[in-house]
Amino acid sequence: MPQICLYFQLHQPYRLDEFNVFDLGKKQAYFSRANKQNQAGNIQVFQKVAQKSYLPMLRLLNEVADEFDQFVFALSASGIFLEQAEKLEPEIIELIKRLLDKGSLELLSETYYHSLSFLKSEREFIDQIRFHSQKIEKIFNVKPAVFRNTELIHSNDLVELLLDSKLEFKGILTEAVDRYLDGQKRTQLFRTPEKNHQTVPLLLKHAQLSDDIAFRFSNPSWQWHPLTVDRYLDWVEIYPENEIVNLFMDFETFGEHQWEDTGIFDFFHHFVKQFLTKDWNKFVMPSQIFDEVATSSEEEKKTATKLEKLPVYDVPDYISWADIDRDLTAWVGNQLQADALRKLFDLEEKVLASKDQQIIEDWRKLQTSDHFYYMCTKWSADGDVHAYFSPYDSPLEAYRRYSIVLADLEERLL
Amino acid sequence: MSQLKPKVLMIGWEYPPHNSGGLGVACQGITQALAEQNAEIYFTLPYQLKQSLGHMKVINCYDKSWGNENSSLPPFGAYSQSVHQSNDKNLDSHQLRALPQSDIEQKVEEYAQLVEEKVADHENEFDLIHAHDWMSFPAATKLKKKTNKPFIAHVHSTEKDRIPNGYGSNYIEKTEKEGMEIADQIVAVSYYTKRLLIDYYQIDPAKIQVIHNGVFPTKYHKNKSDSFAAKRPIVTFMGRLTNQKGVKYFIKVGRKVLRKIPKALFIVAGSGHLYHELLLQTANQQLTAHVLFSGFVRGVQKDKLLDRSDVFIMPSLSEPFGLVALEAAQRQTPVILSKTSGVSEIMTSAVKVDFWDEDKMAVEVIKFLQDKGYSQQVVARQSQELSQATWSKSAQKLKKIYSQAFF
Repeated sequence: MPQICLYFQLHQPYRLDEFNVFDLGKKQAYFSRANKQNQAGNIQVFQKVAQKSYLPMLRLLNEVADEFDQFVFALSASGIFLEQAEKLEPEIIELIKRLLDKGSLELLSETYYHSLSFLKSEREFIDQIRFHSQKIEKIFNVKPAVFRNTELIHSNDLVELLLDSKLEFKGILTEAVDRYLDGQKRTQLFRTPEKNHQTVPLLLKHAQLSDDIAFRFSNPSWQWHPLTVDRYLDWVEIYPENEIVNLFMDFETFGEHQWEDTGIFDFFHHFVKQFLTKDWNKFVMPSQIFDEVATSSEEEKKTATKLEKLPVYDVPDYISWADIDRDLTAWVGNQLQADALRKLFDLEEKVLASKDQQIIEDWRKLQTSDHFYYMCTKWSADGDVHAYFSPYDSPLEAYRRYSIVLADLEERLL
Repeated sequence: MSQLKPKVLMIGWEYPPHNSGGLGVACQGITQALAEQNAEIYFTLPYQLKQSLGHMKVINCYDKSWGNENSSLPPFGAYSQSVHQSNDKNLDSHQLRALPQSDIEQKVEEYAQLVEEKVADHENEFDLIHAHDWMSFPAATKLKKKTNKPFIAHVHSTEKDRIPNGYGSNYIEKTEKEGMEIADQIVAVSYYTKRLLIDYYQIDPAKIQVIHNGVFPTKYHKNKSDSFAAKRPIVTFMGRLTNQKGVKYFIKVGRKVLRKIPKALFIVAGSGHLYHELLLQTANQQLTAHVLFSGFVRGVQKDKLLDRSDVFIMPSLSEPFGLVALEAAQRQTPVILSKTSGVSEIMTSAVKVDFWDEDKMAVEVIKFLQDKGYSQQVVARQSQELSQATWSKSAQKLKKIYSQAFF
């Protein structure tokens, strides 16, 4: 019986409004959140997803936590998600607070704007992690201790960035990518390659079991459809008790990607209940696992600490949890994305020097990974997933509009 | 026929507001001016024109099977390039290439049939047939054969212009050539086009007369301060995003100019099959947020963009006329034209360049942007030339050709 570590991601971008060349320099808002023409505004999108997913699932999580003391899990919520929740659906915040009060929930650290800043600006990346921590502390009065980067993007260099910044994290969550696992079990705790005598423990997502719920659950052509709790637990329970099955997924899996009528909420409820009917089964939060390896006995320190004994997950290139490629190609795989990102960060110095809070905030909202995801032109099945999430007719439109908005931002700096 | 009051059956394909480009605009200019000069006009269209027109009678010649529920749009853009293969296996490759390949080609044949049917009731009400571009030539040919009335072929654009590398549709070129050979008179919109008709289509020069297009007079108040992107110079391209229009050169010019004038904006207005490629070209050359795509613009937006533009470039590889350059000049914007354009024959003060000469274009753009005096001089000279380019002049010349058609 393994331990199960659940982590759900809460995020909602500020999508760009219609913006044409004729709006340049007219002080037109980029993310006005009003319903315009054929595009649902940001407010409508947030409220719709809140009704379908955030609220019912958070209520269910509260019920489950009330029912089972042993039930614990982790959430990461981007800063811009929390902003929108506070303004539009404050009950979301209350439901999260209740889970924290019960001790059932750990909140993770990430960049405030769910951004791709790590690719271009170390300073901005670290700043945004700080902004996010401050936001979490302000609303929930807790300090996140475990880091997960945008879309679980990870690499050795990225860890180095974090270590250099003196931000102290107990550990990091990322994806298990076969080409770097090198045949090792994904259900064990790993650590990063040592750099300047420093190393950080890692928990790796179990893609197969996560995606069974997140993507395949309601797919009628999947051979295991409809998925039963018994069958799913059979798959989970083959792992021994000293191993950890990390089920990481979008929060919106529950109620949005998988609608209520697929039975996803009932499935989740029964899954927790049935898993916990056996005394030896347990849910764990990332911090609990990381804390276990943080302290070593005097004896161990003489040879190798618990942390040092962990296998190394060596990731020389960027990985992520997206698409079949599990790399950055969903966001910077084509020239449109790459040049849009280049231009955005070319403006960094001027934006910050302007000291204009509105300009700085708009610039940061433009860093959100989703804008680049919408510009993705990969055609396989991944393309369908991108299209499902995109507010635009085509990736070309996403780029066209983004480019005009950047021109406007630049105009404001003139 | 009375030369003072000609009765004309015009065979058209598009008419504003549902025009894909200059052809519809030219038909509007010509018919309005002719009507003012007492011509009676029947005008056929392959769709239902929603509004009624005071100056002529429209005959709608469309087939419900063409799919447009209300048939208020042309069945296809006048210059669409969708091609599908013929299934007829019994023809040799040469014959195959001359068959209708694309949907538009198929529609043109059906249109000819419909025009013949619909016009049958009005055969005594016109003296001659005036057909605009290849889409209307098969219809004109049928009618000429049936009624023995003179046929004037008006050439606004040829396949050789649209696909300058010569790999255009054989069927379209064949339709153009046959139409012009059967026609009694040919009107070319420029000497540039006349040359092409002689050299490429081997048409008898004696049959071809040149009538330049005009431009509608416009009330013009330039008020840049109220406009968009007020802090930056704007250079504009407007046209279909095809190889013919040389839009790739426009982006290359942008790259060169931006090295000198980093805050300039280059706006590409139009749609077309090169769109995707042009976005990639823009990103590849690191021009994001400097080369911007407005999409197709018409009406107020079109005027607004031309008003705001500091320079207008038309780098067409082959442009029979190029009405949009006149429109830009009308909105007091200095114009840079490729030498291979008909409009350059009447816009002698515009800057003329080879379409491929991105260096020269860049130099000229920078000169316009940096030297306001120079820019104003060119604009003033352009305005003078514009006053000569009226549709009423074009109509007078046309009437002369109408009367000659009977000798």
